[in-house]
Amino acid sequence: MRLLTRASLRYLTQHRLQLLLSVLGVALGVAVVLSIDLAIQSARTGFRISAETVSGRATHVLASDVGFVDEGLLASLRIDLDVPAAAPVVEGYATSARLPGRALRILGIDPFSEGPFRPYVAGGPTGVDVSRLITTRRGVALSSGLASSGGLTPGDSLAVTVEGQAWTLPVVEVIEPGDELARAGLADVLLMDIAGAQEVLRMTGRLSRIDLRLEDDAEGAARVAAVESALPGGVGLQSVGTRSETMSGMIAAFDVNLTALSLLALIFGMFLIYNAVTFSVVQRRQILGRLRALGVTRGEIVRMILSEALWIGALGAVLGTVAGLFLARGLVGMVARTINDLYFAVSVQGIDLEPLLLVKGWVLGIGATLLAALPPALEAAGANPRMAALRSVVESRARRLVPRAAAWGAVLCLVGAGLLLIPTRSLAVSFTALFFVITGLAFATPAGTLVLVGAVRPILGRLAGTLGLIAARGVGTSLSRTAPAIAALVVAVSVTVGLGVMIQSFRGTLVQWLDGTLRADVYVSLPGPGASRATGTLWPDLVDDFVAHPQVSGYSTYRGIDLIREGDAFRLVALELDPRGESAFDFLDGAREEIMSRFRAGEGVIASEPYVFSRGLEVGDAVTLTTDQGERALPIVGVFYDYGSEQGTVMMARSLYDRLFDDPGITSLGLFLEDEANSDVVVGELLSIVPDGRAVIARTNDSLRSASLEVFDRTFQVTAVLRLLAFVVAFVGVLSALAALQLERARELGLLRASGMTPGQLGRLVVTQTGLIGLAAGVLAVPMGLALSVVMIFVVNKRSFGWTLNMEVGPEVLLQAVGLALVGALLAGVYPAWKMARTSPALALRGE
Amino acid sequence: MGTARGRRGSLLLTLLLVCVALACGDEGADEGGPPTGNLSLVSTLGGLDTVGYERATEIRDFVFPEDHGPHPGFRTEWWYVTGNLTSDAGRDFGFQFTIFRSSLSPTEPGGPSAWATNQAYMGHFAVTDIDGGAFEATDLFARGSGGLAGAQTTPLRVWIEDWVLESAAAASGQDRGSAEGVGASGSETFPLRLAADGDNFAVELELEAGKPIVFQGDRGLSQKGPQPGNASYYYALTRMPAVGSVVFDGETHAVTGLTWLDREWSTSALSDGQVGWDWFALQLDDGWEMMVYQLRLEDGTPDPLSDGVLIDPQGRRIPLEWGEEVEVVPTGTWRSPEDGAEYPSGWRIRVPDRGWDLTVEPVVDDQELRLAFRYWEGSVAVEGRGEGGAPVAGRGYVELTGYAGFGAQGTTEER
Repeated sequence: MRLLTRASLRYLTQHRLQLLLSVLGVALGVAVVLSIDLAIQSARTGFRISAETVSGRATHVLASDVGFVDEGLLASLRIDLDVPAAAPVVEGYATSARLPGRALRILGIDPFSEGPFRPYVAGGPTGVDVSRLITTRRGVALSSGLASSGGLTPGDSLAVTVEGQAWTLPVVEVIEPGDELARAGLADVLLMDIAGAQEVLRMTGRLSRIDLRLEDDAEGAARVAAVESALPGGVGLQSVGTRSETMSGMIAAFDVNLTALSLLALIFGMFLIYNAVTFSVVQRRQILGRLRALGVTRGEIVRMILSEALWIGALGAVLGTVAGLFLARGLVGMVARTINDLYFAVSVQGIDLEPLLLVKGWVLGIGATLLAALPPALEAAGANPRMAALRSVVESRARRLVPRAAAWGAVLCLVGAGLLLIPTRSLAVSFTALFFVITGLAFATPAGTLVLVGAVRPILGRLAGTLGLIAARGVGTSLSRTAPAIAALVVAVSVTVGLGVMIQSFRGTLVQWLDGTLRADVYVSLPGPGASRATGTLWPDLVDDFVAHPQVSGYSTYRGIDLIREGDAFRLVALELDPRGESAFDFLDGAREEIMSRFRAGEGVIASEPYVFSRGLEVGDAVTLTTDQGERALPIVGVFYDYGSEQGTVMMARSLYDRLFDDPGITSLGLFLEDEANSDVVVGELLSIVPDGRAVIARTNDSLRSASLEVFDRTFQVTAVLRLLAFVVAFVGVLSALAALQLERARELGLLRASGMTPGQLGRLVVTQTGLIGLAAGVLAVPMGLALSVVMIFVVNKRSFGWTLNMEVGPEVLLQAVGLALVGALLAGVYPAWKMARTSPALALRGE
Repeated sequence: MGTARGRRGSLLLTLLLVCVALACGDEGADEGGPPTGNLSLVSTLGGLDTVGYERATEIRDFVFPEDHGPHPGFRTEWWYVTGNLTSDAGRDFGFQFTIFRSSLSPTEPGGPSAWATNQAYMGHFAVTDIDGGAFEATDLFARGSGGLAGAQTTPLRVWIEDWVLESAAAASGQDRGSAEGVGASGSETFPLRLAADGDNFAVELELEAGKPIVFQGDRGLSQKGPQPGNASYYYALTRMPAVGSVVFDGETHAVTGLTWLDREWSTSALSDGQVGWDWFALQLDDGWEMMVYQLRLEDGTPDPLSDGVLIDPQGRRIPLEWGEEVEVVPTGTWRSPEDGAEYPSGWRIRVPDRGWDLTVEPVVDDQELRLAFRYWEGSVAVEGRGEGGAPVAGRGYVELTGYAGFGAQGTTEER
């Protein structure tokens, strides 16, 4: 065994570049998987901690579908129903120039009711000065972390904007959180007395919710029943756990998407390992043959190769962990931003180093390495001692394997297609199917390459003469080494193409949809924490003033509520539509006029495609809402195309909403202008009548459209980064495989040099050959990429999110892909060409 | 002379503020654990700043029913009811019911919210099952808004959640806090309805005014220290007949008995050196009442400002000169199982000039309120000789503070 170890070491130390690239491949794979895991985990942890901190020890909440309950309910709970642990909560968000980029969560509470709930409000060494908080109008207490990042001390005041209104909040106290959890949970919290919170959030008379603590025993169950039976219409009792799970579940699809992408990077990493190990086996064929001849068993050979892989994997995993931590730091901001844009406000306090994730990264990294090294290891052991030394044997066998691999590829693609046919909304199934398809395509690449090279050879011969022919033939005769490299490159490029086309199609569909949907000339809303979720309530007097503007000829109002209840979350919208706004809706089935007339008459609601799709509903089914008159089932009269919300949107006519809920507020306003009016001028005039201290966002149709696309682009930023990383991994793989291949050909090339080829010609030969591989990969990747995008657009998106996208293929995505593959491959040839050109033929011929 | 129950007021003010700070976090109190709250509130108040509050600086004309209601310009105020009751079946009970009001700042914070307030309320409620030898106590805290707690004059109504002391007339036509035109005069204020409940114990009573109002101190101005304004306004109803029911251990008993109401409001802070007090309110069966208290200094001696009064059957107030006319001597001790604090238990009280010589014994040894802060307040039995040396018996309430938990926690602040 010591002999084998020495042989290993000797080989590896003599091929340091190869070793380095293998380690790099594993490291990159592990880094990507780990960083995505960490970024998502950190976002989730941030959400969980802030939810837990804000809920404290509450077990249940009383809330309504429209986001508030009457404040009188608290006294009747505590006094009439004798529920001892019931605390009022008024919540909302603020922003402050002093704390840029942070969604500050206003938590309005009654300190006297807090005993059973939030320990940081209650007594103890970290408690709040109850008296000052209550008696200072609009006073806030904030955690020491937040205070120091804003440079605030008690006695200062904090200028904030809450739903468009400017306020100056006196800082009455800085809370020193008792533990890390409280520190993280309070990081973005502005703690206020309930009176101040109601004032700044314009929620006088209303509470966001009532927190309850009901014991998990018979008495608690009796109380739950008593509370439920005494609740007024519109208010429901929910358990805190399921409520936060529901919210957390909203980002599940987002999570799976990113995880799938990160696994892709790992698979590319596996290609890399496979490459490197295969190559090392091919190179050591003679030595391995000799070892076998000396009596080393097959098992020992396998173990030797695998233990090499193990070390590479371990080293790569360690490096990958370090890199992953750095990468995660960058990604977590993007992930949090997207969650903020699309789902709910979340504040992420750095990276949550969950040990299990580290273990997962290592296991995946090392496991993938071993798995990738297994086929070459078995191959090394499989050859008989004499034959093992002969390369021609390997190559001819590799050639024979090509059709078989293609057949296997076809089988894998079929399995993938079969999986795609399963009628499920599970993203995991879709992605598994996708992986099957991708792997299948990878298996088919050698065959494709041969066909392609065969087709190109005559052209090359004409363009570059003998050199071209040699180069083309070389690709075919070294399949055992080039095939994995090409496959990796093809997969990487096709995934790039697939994702690119998918994103492009999505964006194109969105643009089209925005053009159709944005009918008004000017849109008015309040500034808020989420870029794509309008929140808050416009001042009624300002709405009146805007509508009365002489250039305004009509308007639509919009009331949007993020409805969260047990196991379900969606956006509820009340619409009062100007007739010109009705054409904004495009329905899957049925005549728009008929649907809209039923909508206007309040006969039912219209629901977005993702809403009905993800819930398996159709026209005629009902949406149940907890209204002020109790539970009401409203039939769906139409399903409209919508790309604004993944959770789905349910819309009803304002008149119906007003009958069901006591909530006169308007979230945003669409203004239709006189034909000759200039939107930009009107926007300027509208903004000029906004009183000091208030802020609204008034945008022209065009600027809202571009703002929406900005959000979209930001959403796909993470995807773009991952796509790039996956490509880098594949690129490194190609680079290492091709470079090694050319270096291994030293003898052959030396022979060519000795027979009179100049260093320049030799360089051209090498670069032509790698370039040919790159071109082949690029060209093969285009149809495969398109196939992937078809699956992603028409199966994954449609099935898992309910979005119908129009496929849109732009030439730039395709050219980009082929170009990238070509450039990568050419680059891979440069170093060996340069090295060979500098080596004297005699030295090269002498070999090792 | 004339300081009457003033000391008690000051210390209770401190207690109240401590409790406001504790209110919130102290789950331990319910479960009998040690208080875990902080004193940040008290310390922030910087030794109980009096700036901006009304002060008890001069003798005033009390006006009823208004003065039964709240005086929010003063920092602190309470409605303090104790009583001894007997059931139809002859079973004896004692109870204590207190609502403390505290102004957390001299002015209200203002703003559009109905929750905006500077008023905080604390309630203490205890019942003693004398024959069963058992005792239960609990507390409540709430802000003076949101319908959770409050005090109003017309009709009289003082409440924390479902604990209430109110005009019975208002209660019968009640619509929480909004009834008008009832009880505008003193005669309509009474009878009062008192109701409170704990986990498995409760009291609901109707209280008659009984004897006339007794104004303590100098016509109701109870001087506490040498500085002007360092005083409270203080009156009492010392013999209020009660009828109603007591729930104890889940069983309901119809009861009658005698109760005692103390009303006091003030702003000023404590003077130095006092660590606690022993206070006695005794109702004798010959129609007389005795109220005596003894303040204890750090060195363990009684403060010379300790005081006492007698009330004759017609309701006339007879002040006693402390140290010359009245003498209180403990006759035994009781040790708290909670922290080993030692309380006096059993006394001999004498007013030799008038022939009074009473033995006072707790009806149950352990009547310690182990709440956010700890003190002993409980029903006592009285026996001996009263006015003119005639044999007499009676019942009463005794309060002992500064012996346990709170003393240890609060002394820094008190000083």
